[in-house]
Amino acid sequence: MRGANHLPLILLFLPFALLPSLPLGGWGAFLLDVGFFVLLFTALALSWDLVARTGQLSLAHGAFFGLGAYGAGLLAPQVGTLPALLLGAAVAGAGALILGSVTLRLHGLYFAIASLAFSEVLRTLALKLPFTGGPIGLPVPPPFGGTWPLAAYYLSFSVLLLATALSLWAEKSPFRLAQAATRQSEAVARVLGVRVIRVKLWSLLLGSWVAGLAGGVYGMKTLFLSPYDAFSLGRAVEALVIPIFGGLYTTLGPLVGGVVLVSLEQALRLWIKEGYLVVYGAILILVILFLPRGLVGILGRRRG
Amino acid sequence: MELLLQTILNGLLMSGVYALVATGLALSLGVVGIVNFAHGEFLMVGAFLSYLLFAFRGTDPLLSLGLAFLAAFGVGALTYQGLIRPALKAPELNQMLLTFGLSILLQNLALLLFGADTRVVAPPYQATTLSLGPFFLGAVPLGAFLLSLAILLGLQVFLTRSRLGLAMRAVSQNRLAPGLLGIEAERVYLLAFGLAAALAGVAGVMLSVMLYASPTVGFIFTLKSFAIVALAGLGNLKGVVPAAFVLALAEALVSTYLPGGGGLVEAVFFLVLFLALVVRAWRLA
Repeated sequence: MRGANHLPLILLFLPFALLPSLPLGGWGAFLLDVGFFVLLFTALALSWDLVARTGQLSLAHGAFFGLGAYGAGLLAPQVGTLPALLLGAAVAGAGALILGSVTLRLHGLYFAIASLAFSEVLRTLALKLPFTGGPIGLPVPPPFGGTWPLAAYYLSFSVLLLATALSLWAEKSPFRLAQAATRQSEAVARVLGVRVIRVKLWSLLLGSWVAGLAGGVYGMKTLFLSPYDAFSLGRAVEALVIPIFGGLYTTLGPLVGGVVLVSLEQALRLWIKEGYLVVYGAILILVILFLPRGLVGILGRRRG
Repeated sequence: MELLLQTILNGLLMSGVYALVATGLALSLGVVGIVNFAHGEFLMVGAFLSYLLFAFRGTDPLLSLGLAFLAAFGVGALTYQGLIRPALKAPELNQMLLTFGLSILLQNLALLLFGADTRVVAPPYQATTLSLGPFFLGAVPLGAFLLSLAILLGLQVFLTRSRLGLAMRAVSQNRLAPGLLGIEAERVYLLAFGLAAALAGVAGVMLSVMLYASPTVGFIFTLKSFAIVALAGLGNLKGVVPAAFVLALAEALVSTYLPGGGGLVEAVFFLVLFLALVVRAWRLA
């Protein structure tokens, strides 16, 4: 696989790199906003796929996202933008470690259930704890003191680049084999010498870091966090529908899926305010039943 | 002391409905082997059915119980035929994603149709309380508790005495042997899944009076049921009732004794789930 074709990746990234410098007139601001969310949620989707490659169904990516957002949002006034983002990611990682250390030894469905419960409880706590601003919300300073309007866009771009790099690394290195073996049969993987729990925990940790980073950047863009927004279940749904739609266990799949679905969502949001997740629920069911390998699967079949 | 006893009593009364919902979940998990994230949405269907019948027809929720049982059974059976059966042999990850997708779909469909408001069914006897010495019992929670108990006893008899019930238990114990004995596993699955949904639907009617009907009312019950089922041991039907009592009691204690506990009650189930998992992981290690 070494020296594989990176052309699709470059073609996907190029428009986003050029977007800020294109002469778009009145549409510029809107398209930059859409672009920001496409980049950010695609990064979140890649981070979910990273965990899914070990066969773990994480429903806690909304929680990691929220932990990163609140961590970075609370720390940014004291320590500055970049350290706050890293610390937010570390908070998300700590959450993942707690969740993983209890559940990853058990049968996979325990992890799925516990991760869903984890995100529900964190929202309850964010509503109740004294320093989060509770239901009123938390104001977040813009990145780098607000001196550079495009900062959030480029931060989002960087998070996606990081997520893509991590995903490509995991795909090209022996780590991929360990992940795939863990997914297909833990017992066999163990016999083959794969340290199953360590592989699962590392995957979860990497995934939660990226999700936490994405959350931190999100807060700096919206300038305001509320528990219902930051810890919303919708985030976890997006994070998992995008890779499944695009093609599981690949790097290209979540990227393609993210560009298509998040753009669609931003457009649909103009008409449907509440309940737009109906679309995601329907896509999830249809793709699992009829298109288990996603968009990339169709393209791959046609090509070869 | 009286406060404590009253709290325990409140917990006990709530545990009936919890046990009803969680038994349904354990049934679909134990017999069909499906982790059903949409279980709470069957409950929501029951709750909204009760609300709509009450609001437009003035139907007493007691009458809605039977209708909700049938309606939820139908929804469950359709779900099995359309979604679960094609995916019975799919990887577990896909099965979980499928039911999770259904849960998201139904929740947001209800949100589009009915809005996010909570709606209470208020029959004339809703606020009636009975006093028992120094203690107070709400008529509705007491009725729901007794009814849940009766339904669970009926289920117990069905599972241990009838041929169909025995077939269900046989299928849950072994995937292959019942087929050799002439039991059609797929029909048993269909029945078990429908029955599981029906239990949730009935609980939904009760909750439309005790709590409310809303698009997300089922979701929190899915999570609580998972906590109960994890505490009882996956697919273990007998353990569900005591586990439901543990959760309901813990919630009642938190809401009575913890200052500002009102909002934190919704986090108690996680503590129960977490402890159950820690014990399980520790035993395994």
